[in-house]
Amino acid sequence: MEHKLDEIFNAVVNGDADAAKLNVQSALMDGMDAERILNEGLIASMKEVGRLFEEGEYFVPEMLISARAMQGGMSILRPVLVEQDIQPIGKVVIGTVKGDLHDIGKNLVSMMLEGAGFQVYDLKTDVAPEKFLEAVQTYQPDILGMSALLTTTMNNMKATIRLLEEKGARENIKIIVGGAPLTQAFAEQFGADGFAQDASQAAALAKALMDGSRG
Amino acid sequence: MRTRFGDFILNSSPPLPMPVGVYAGLEITGDSVRQAVTEAQSQFRAVMALHERFHTPVMLTAMDLSVEAEAFGCRIRMTEDEIPSVIGRRVTNAAEIKALPIPAVGSGRTAVSLETARRLVMAADGTPVLGGVIGPFSLACRIFGVSELLEISLTEPVVLIALLEKVTRFLTQYLSVFCDLGVHGVIMAEPAAGLLSPRGLAQFSSAYVKQIIDAVVTPDFTVILHNCGAKLVHLPKVLESGAEIYHFGAPMNLAQALAQVSSEVILAGNLDPTGVFFSDTQAEVIARTRELMQIAAGYKNFIPSSGCDLPPHTPLDNIAAFYETVNGSMG
Repeated sequence: MEHKLDEIFNAVVNGDADAAKLNVQSALMDGMDAERILNEGLIASMKEVGRLFEEGEYFVPEMLISARAMQGGMSILRPVLVEQDIQPIGKVVIGTVKGDLHDIGKNLVSMMLEGAGFQVYDLKTDVAPEKFLEAVQTYQPDILGMSALLTTTMNNMKATIRLLEEKGARENIKIIVGGAPLTQAFAEQFGADGFAQDASQAAALAKALMDGSRG
Repeated sequence: MRTRFGDFILNSSPPLPMPVGVYAGLEITGDSVRQAVTEAQSQFRAVMALHERFHTPVMLTAMDLSVEAEAFGCRIRMTEDEIPSVIGRRVTNAAEIKALPIPAVGSGRTAVSLETARRLVMAADGTPVLGGVIGPFSLACRIFGVSELLEISLTEPVVLIALLEKVTRFLTQYLSVFCDLGVHGVIMAEPAAGLLSPRGLAQFSSAYVKQIIDAVVTPDFTVILHNCGAKLVHLPKVLESGAEIYHFGAPMNLAQALAQVSSEVILAGNLDPTGVFFSDTQAEVIARTRELMQIAAGYKNFIPSSGCDLPPHTPLDNIAAFYETVNGSMG
């Protein structure tokens, strides 16, 4: 059975979506526990991808195809997880702020969060504060993630946080921000709970915030 | 090849400051970003306003990485106050790439860039003028979609190569027209290439930049390759493009880069345009600029600059602080 997990792990790390799907299917048919496939196969492999990126061995294209492979494996596994009522480790709403159409960073963060075991609701780009609020009220996420690539749009992060505060929706969520013009100082100024420099750090930060929330 | 602009840089003492930013000039003229990117006269006025205010030793046209993509037929989103962005994907597969027509130079707003450059050359009074263009990989990203192109760089490189060949043909023609206008050269922006591995960068960016450079560079016309995402690990492969001057962003370790390149290669950069120029106080800009000058002390082959384009509404006082610090007149 262990070698099945290795095959899933290697398929994701190597960015082979077909192999990831096949090996997840095969492991399920062999009777392997779905949660084990998730944690020791898919999530473990994306953690390795994150490490390879941090170490400078993987770059954005490698991360993208690994994430694609992970999503392929998840597409086979998800129905089983739902059937067994296995919950994600948390829920995240994510989007690029109003006026901003850049999405590569946000897409990578979405993929890494999914690879870390989160359920992700991606609002895409040009997301107004009102739309973030609506999504927070609808999905009741643990974390809200906002991305901006322009100095002129990043202030919409502050506007979104203010709106959430005004409507009483700020208290029960953690907010993380990221994007090229962002810094830790800006994140604090806007009232966010965290700032991530890249997608790998974003996933680690989200997990740390969840662990902190559980106390 | 050493060009007249390269000579100009190497013969300057102290080093010549060259922040990349035209939109800050709009703080002086009062025009909008939309006007600057759609009207040559507005962009010209912004450049001249900066030149008059700061006695800029070089005049640059605006960095707008949607211009060439629009000429290829990409949809563009334009607002009053933001640099335009590309929406959606112009082509999505090999067949569409094959059918994609190569636009004529002068199509769309390439005419604005060229006309701005022409006016600057006429008004320049000896100050070097540099045009601004996008690089081949970054242009391909805008036409195909950034995420999608990055993926096919690993999964379907043949498809990517077909698109790179088309954009390279266009850019070669475009730069030739800039050359004919009498500008000293162009800054070619390849930010997306910094997302690739070093091997990917060599294969899908440097190889095509080199083709363009080999075709257009003359003793009177240089290409400055800008890659604000490149890190030290990318440096050897970036240098394979054969440019005379390399302009880097904040991710590049400039101290080590200067130590690694030969004195024949000129480097430029790399103060963070948003973290320093846009956001910092004047005192902090002075401090960061002094740090930059210390890193580059003793190197003649260096141009102190911003790491990328200064965003609209960058405080003019911060730009002044940068110029004055480099020129040595601040404390």
